[in-house]
Amino acid sequence: MDRTTIENCLTALLTAGVVYAVFFIVPPAEGLGHLVRIAFFHIPVAWVSVLAFLLSAFWALKYLRTRDAVYDRQSSAAAGLGFIFCILATVSGAIFAKLTWGAYWNWDPRQTTIFILLLIYGAYLALRSSLEESEQRARVSAVYSLLSFITVPFLVFIIPRYYFSLHPAPVINGAGKLDMDRIMLYVLLAALAACTAIFWRTLTWQVDRKRRREMSDITPVKEGF
Amino acid sequence: MRKRHIIGLTVILTFVAFSFFAFRSSLTPYVSFAQAKTANGTVQVRGVLASDKITVSENGKTVKFQLRDEAGEAVTVIYSGTKPDGLEQATGIVAVGRYQSGQFQAEKLLVKCPSKYQGSVKQ
Repeated sequence: MDRTTIENCLTALLTAGVVYAVFFIVPPAEGLGHLVRIAFFHIPVAWVSVLAFLLSAFWALKYLRTRDAVYDRQSSAAAGLGFIFCILATVSGAIFAKLTWGAYWNWDPRQTTIFILLLIYGAYLALRSSLEESEQRARVSAVYSLLSFITVPFLVFIIPRYYFSLHPAPVINGAGKLDMDRIMLYVLLAALAACTAIFWRTLTWQVDRKRRREMSDITPVKEGF
Repeated sequence: MRKRHIIGLTVILTFVAFSFFAFRSSLTPYVSFAQAKTANGTVQVRGVLASDKITVSENGKTVKFQLRDEAGEAVTVIYSGTKPDGLEQATGIVAVGRYQSGQFQAEKLLVKCPSKYQGSVKQ
């Protein structure tokens, strides 16, 4: 077996284990009841989307320094995946909101900021697909990705804490105490690992696909993400 | 090169700060009763229970309670609907509706629950 297969198998095993744990090991929570299980999807996808945007900005910077097309492929793949995970976080969040606080969408500061984030990275994808010439596309995307990431700490971490929000305080905050029992914490950590692994495998696959496509074409093709 | 970076960074941060202050009031939908009184249309007022007294009508379709907003003003809220779970334990309540003749007519009640990720069954 080659490395890719082993990594895929491990990711699948870990994910299956997490899904089992979320449904059969995690106890129903005080107040939330069985709804707490949504958190084990919602928190990891939100975390991965921030990670993806960070990586996209990091590789964008590397691209601007070296002008190596490898970094462009990594940066754009990360931004595209970040956008998808951000949609997943929004949708799971809206369902969670309906079931706990009573409405799918009421423009809570959390919802407003994630909506802005979706617009920003949606614009990245539109901008990228509108540029034909590969070097220009890489350069413009890299600058846009870097600039976009500046807004992420504000939108994700600062603004939602500044206002009253129906959204609970994040479970993962370095300074605060962890209001979570042991079993849930372990399952959450495993879920974060599984989700990150899925993201990483998908990213590698996407980057490889982009590379093969660029190699096989002499003329640069218009791409999605 | 370094000078250019610093100037660029300053411009970006100024822009971020500017947009934050420009959109500050749009970033939150929650208002106080004072604002609700002058508003046209539906608003979202947030607050906490002013007293433990929650009256549910006999058919269970109307809920009445006192909501105290951030400014300390307490107004009677009439909600047409069944009482949401956890209203008594809520750490924050958002009433969606409009202010009419001394009362707040709510179409919807949003409830912030104390989220403790603790198992309900103690092992």
